[in-house]
Amino acid sequence: MKKRYLRGILGSAFLACMMLGATGCSESVMDEINKNTSNPPVNSVDGRFQLTNAIMSMAFTTYGGLYSWTAASYTEQIFGDGGSQMMYAELRDPLVTAAPTTFNNEWNNTYHNLLNIAQMIAKCENGVNAGQEDLEGMGRVLRVMGFSALTLLHGDIPYSEALRDYIRNPKLDKQEDIYADLLKEIDLAITCLENAKEKGSANVGVQDILFQGDVGKWLGFAYAVKSRLLLDGSLRYPGNYTLALQSAEAALDNGFAGAELSIFNGVDADNSWAAYFRSRHYSGACATVACLMEERQDPRLPIYAADLFETGVLYAPAGDAAMAESIDNVGGPLWLKNEAATIHLFSEASLRFIIAECKARLGQDFQNDFREGVKASIADYVKSAGNANVGIDDPEAYISSLGTVGLKEVMIQKYLSQSRDEQIETYNDLRRLIAGGENYVTLQNPNNTDNGQNRWPYCLPYGNSDVVSNPNVAAAFGSGNSAGYYIFTIPLWIFSN
Amino acid sequence: MNKHPFILSTLLFGCAFLPMRAEETKTVVDSIVAASFDTTLDEVVVTALGIGKERKSLGYSVTDLSSDDLNTSGTTSITNAIQGKVSGVDIRPSSGSPGASAQIVIRGARSFSDSNRPLYVIDGMPVAANPDYSTGNSTRGADLSDRSIDFNPDDIESISFLKGQAASALYGIRASNGVVIITTKRAHKKAEKPTITFSTNLAGVMLSRNFHPQEIYSQGTNINTYNPNATTNWGPKISDLPDNPTYGGNSQGHSGLYYNPKLEQAGLDPWIAPRIYDNIGDFFNRGFTENTTLSITQALDKATYSFSINNSYQSGVVPTTDMNRWNVKGLVDWKLSRDWKTGFSANYSSTTIHSAPGANSAIVNTVYQAPAEYDLKGIPNHVPSDPTTQISYRPTVYDNPYWWAENNMYYQHTNRGFGNAYLEYAIRFGSDYNMSLRVREQAGLDVYTTSDSDVLEVGSAGSGGGSISNYGVTKNIFNNLFTINYNALFGRDFDFDAMIGSEIEDRRSQWRSYTGTNFNFYGMPTIGNATVYTSREYESRGRTVGFFGSLSLGWREMLFLNATGRADVVSSMPRDHRTFFYPSVSLAWVFTELPGLRGNGILDYGKLRISFAEVGQGGSYKDNYMVVPTYSGGMYTYSPILYPVDGISSYVPYQQVYDPNLRPQNTREIEAGFDLDFFNHRLKLGYTISYQDVKGQIFSVPTAGSTGYRYMMTNAGRIHTLSNEIEIQGTILRGSDYQLNIGMNFSTLDNKVKELAPGVESIMLGGFTSPQIRAEEGHTYPCIYGTAFQRTENGELLLTNGLPTSTAGSVCIAECTPDLISGFNLNGKWRMIGLSATLSWQNGGKMYHGTNMTMNYSGVTKESIPWHEGTFIAEGIDAATGERNTVEVDRQKYYQAYYAITESGVYDMSFLKFRDISLTWDLPQVGNFHFQVFAFARDVLVWAKMPNFDPESSQGNGNMGGYFERFSMPATTSIGGGFKVVF
Repeated sequence: MKKRYLRGILGSAFLACMMLGATGCSESVMDEINKNTSNPPVNSVDGRFQLTNAIMSMAFTTYGGLYSWTAASYTEQIFGDGGSQMMYAELRDPLVTAAPTTFNNEWNNTYHNLLNIAQMIAKCENGVNAGQEDLEGMGRVLRVMGFSALTLLHGDIPYSEALRDYIRNPKLDKQEDIYADLLKEIDLAITCLENAKEKGSANVGVQDILFQGDVGKWLGFAYAVKSRLLLDGSLRYPGNYTLALQSAEAALDNGFAGAELSIFNGVDADNSWAAYFRSRHYSGACATVACLMEERQDPRLPIYAADLFETGVLYAPAGDAAMAESIDNVGGPLWLKNEAATIHLFSEASLRFIIAECKARLGQDFQNDFREGVKASIADYVKSAGNANVGIDDPEAYISSLGTVGLKEVMIQKYLSQSRDEQIETYNDLRRLIAGGENYVTLQNPNNTDNGQNRWPYCLPYGNSDVVSNPNVAAAFGSGNSAGYYIFTIPLWIFSN
Repeated sequence: MNKHPFILSTLLFGCAFLPMRAEETKTVVDSIVAASFDTTLDEVVVTALGIGKERKSLGYSVTDLSSDDLNTSGTTSITNAIQGKVSGVDIRPSSGSPGASAQIVIRGARSFSDSNRPLYVIDGMPVAANPDYSTGNSTRGADLSDRSIDFNPDDIESISFLKGQAASALYGIRASNGVVIITTKRAHKKAEKPTITFSTNLAGVMLSRNFHPQEIYSQGTNINTYNPNATTNWGPKISDLPDNPTYGGNSQGHSGLYYNPKLEQAGLDPWIAPRIYDNIGDFFNRGFTENTTLSITQALDKATYSFSINNSYQSGVVPTTDMNRWNVKGLVDWKLSRDWKTGFSANYSSTTIHSAPGANSAIVNTVYQAPAEYDLKGIPNHVPSDPTTQISYRPTVYDNPYWWAENNMYYQHTNRGFGNAYLEYAIRFGSDYNMSLRVREQAGLDVYTTSDSDVLEVGSAGSGGGSISNYGVTKNIFNNLFTINYNALFGRDFDFDAMIGSEIEDRRSQWRSYTGTNFNFYGMPTIGNATVYTSREYESRGRTVGFFGSLSLGWREMLFLNATGRADVVSSMPRDHRTFFYPSVSLAWVFTELPGLRGNGILDYGKLRISFAEVGQGGSYKDNYMVVPTYSGGMYTYSPILYPVDGISSYVPYQQVYDPNLRPQNTREIEAGFDLDFFNHRLKLGYTISYQDVKGQIFSVPTAGSTGYRYMMTNAGRIHTLSNEIEIQGTILRGSDYQLNIGMNFSTLDNKVKELAPGVESIMLGGFTSPQIRAEEGHTYPCIYGTAFQRTENGELLLTNGLPTSTAGSVCIAECTPDLISGFNLNGKWRMIGLSATLSWQNGGKMYHGTNMTMNYSGVTKESIPWHEGTFIAEGIDAATGERNTVEVDRQKYYQAYYAITESGVYDMSFLKFRDISLTWDLPQVGNFHFQVFAFARDVLVWAKMPNFDPESSQGNGNMGGYFERFSMPATTSIGGGFKVVF
């Protein structure tokens, strides 16, 4: 009796327990428990929500972040100081300039943004945004922007195998192949946008924080991007001057007046340069720019070299060690204190100077394009100062004072104009010009050579995540004492003859 | 025959996790001595799932400590109380701050990026002990406590450490890092009246090691340049400042004085005479610790109960830091009838912590680095009319520490309740009652809400407009455990045990974060006063269902075989990869039971043991998803973009991609060892060697950025760990009224990263761009990774222009794991006086010490004194020519170039420290009152190889903890006393 009683208790308890356990852990119950209720799955999100940050990240991180802050030291448009990482860049110390860790965040974030863009394009091809050619065209323009930044800064990069889920070690593609593919991609973007314009597509709306869904403006932007890309490759393909000019003019025909992100307000979105300056006082005005401005009695000088720390030191000579070590000492541009300043993906002035350069090289009259470029730049400088309200009374007088100019002045004015926030483009231009034997802007930093060895980077080192996690990139980066030093010895394919 | 009835009674009467003592000791001092050394071979130790087993029957190593082995005076942390006491357990406190996190790792790490902390089981129920918030890369902000801080060390009656996989296999997937089983205090001896215990102890807290900066040279960039804004102290001699051409008063009509603009900024006379200030002594407070417990316990005919209330308070050496904790515990065991028994355990804790930040938002660096001629305390910390404009001797990239203390706050608060109730049915049956059966159902809850707040007032460094971040989590963890135990004795030779059961753990978490920035005005740093708001909420659920069983067979008190198996089903893995099975088997051979050895007079007891087990760890799998992007980190000290921007939001792919073929990681361990008792058990020696092979590690594998992702959650990596543990206990003296016992434990660990994911050389655990703490293939785990000195093949420095040159890329520059961790315990008693001490000795091991490195770079340390003036030709090879260096350089330039390279910041962690020394005096009994008074000291640093600072201070509450220091909260020493009354 007792045994039966016992068996009963045990049997039912055990059975109840097992059943409770078994029903509580079926695959469907476990699926439900593991469901992510706070974040949406990738395929269900409309691609236009991805476009917003695709633009933001491209402007804020890729074109407005550390790439440009550091390139600005290499181009001597900005002085690195504060006893910091930027000081080491200013002193051309390989500790920073050749280190894969230096640009790791920008490398990773740019690729991450390109993944976001790739998903967006894929959704337009076959997904929730199928057939939306306006969104697809915008995505393709941004894709070209992102990859052209990467290849022009780093050289051969992961491209054809990049951004593929579960390929962990993408191979390096030759810059020559990437360049050819990007030109195809921008043509594809133009086709999409032209189709969308014709159809009157309006799928994006306010999520397009660059042009508020204006497909025509995107088309102009796409032509501008194409013209710049063509000019970048002009050393390799001299015929590109004509093509670049055609594209640039097509950009103007489509109403291009700059691709300028103006969403920054100093409240919930700060300009990247101002945010960086608010966080770190590592950048100031450089004498190379300031002296060019002084020589020309340029009205932009008070905006470029303001006494930010009330020290009386408005700018510093490129590479000056004592100034570089000092903190809160060297003055700098007023836009560093304007969190609401715009960020350029492509300024109108830059396009005008591209036209001027192409025309100059093709033997055409470029004086008006040049003047339009300077005029646009001055307006941009004034706007960038924000609440400082530094007006320039008579920009035309300054422009007239420059007289009839040659290609050298075009490149100098482009250099001054891009000192605002397009230093990456200047870095591209300088490498192209130097490789072509043209020395329009003379770099002054004495640290560009060290004991006869070049220390001016021909490109930027790869991002650390690939150097430590991708053997293909690790092999290209090198190892031992000379790891990373290829950046001082091997010019990029595109910037060499 | 032996002890089976004892085991049986333990099982039958529900004391499965109550190691009963043969007799109650008379005095507290007696119990201190007895607890450590009256461990007999027939003693029951608590093993997995609370099953009591005879120590000699175990085929694996288990270390247990009683309450008297723990010295809980002067600390609020359970991890502090066990430091130095147990072999194979590495405890790394982050600092001496109130509520500071501590890393505890048993027999080496098994996971690169997930927790390596053991499972905590209190009164039979697993409870959360990990930190809810990681300190991430640990480069900003304050330390965040782990949840073991909620446990009151004074409540502990005993702790068992299940170190190996065989010991812990029955707990399944959560237990691969070992298990810490805590049994709380309760009454054992039937008594007419309740026993009331009141104890309190008070202690003063001070820095364990004082940093003494150089007091010769002033603030400035070089010997000729005094600069009251410089971030370095390479300036002219302080005594020469009146002669300075720019700031000196001798040439400007202020003879003997010099000019400091900071005084003018503060509205004071800027002309002052050179003087030396003790800025470090001025800033750090004398801290204070208080622990008070009142408990009442009683064992009645049919029930036992125990109630206690405790308050622990600690104020830190850094102003405004403190911790206040209240614990309340109630516990009842009630025998309903001969066969039925029930009971519950209920615990409540409320923990409040104010902490201070380290690394890049640190405050102590501004204290350490303050120029000796600058009166950091005396000069106001803000301009007279504007509390948001700080005044400091250097630009306010870092806060003035006094301003910080007056304005900013890092606050953590947790309300927690946990406990369980059980019902048990136990009978004996069989022809001569040779069999027994126990059925037990236990259900428990662990529920808590943590509410943290980081407040930065208007004017804070890096957050000019101010910010507040209120964040927290509410967790609800349900645990149900059902077991059936069967025991049978067959004849005189065989003893058989079988057990089956199931366990369900269900977890729900709600995470929230509300941030406000840019306050309207100073003085009200609240969400309501912010002008920009963001909020985030996140919910997650998880469930683990386990089915398990064990079989044990004993033969003639000599051979003991035990086998277990457990199958777990976990929700957090991908479909069809959720079920895993883990086996274990162990064998113990008490060879002194052999006829030829029994009663030999020298070797009283000898046992060989060997075990094999597999235990896994689950992963955290999700379908790939999207998130609202955030912008922070890198060069930004705040979040410059906060979506939604102007009402527009966005989504981007999450930076981690999940492998749909994720499998559980697997730890296989072979453990072997022996236990020997000599000379009537006066000398005991235990040795354990274990080899672990951790395969298919699940972790966020850092991926090449060119994949578009930063991480991939997948199986990758393998660690081998070989550990050796030796424990020695000896009774040196024993007499009627005196006894002196010593104990020693030694542990070595060699855990090598054998493989990482294909193509991955190393993975980051935390840190800056350089240095970082990483796991690197071919090295022990973890290692310090950063820029190294360029060297020739034979190790000489390569110099450029006479100065050290750095590698461009980062490399592994040091392995962190210590060569030896050891502890020495002493317990003595003479009449009514008791003495106990624990000494920790760590030999070897490396850490990155950013404070030492930066203070050297900045010319602050005494070590820098010879480098402030003059020139020299450094030893080394010129990188350009390959010839011996002939370039003469400034000594200062060389020193700064040297300390700019990460490798210069690697220091040896060896140290010798008294964890605790305590002296107790039992006063003569008055009526029913037993009085004891005691004095103690904790964490007295005797010696450290590293200069200037205590090596037990670091950044990070995760796997990097203990190895990465940069302006971290300092380690402390406490000295105090207290009393205890029992009646």
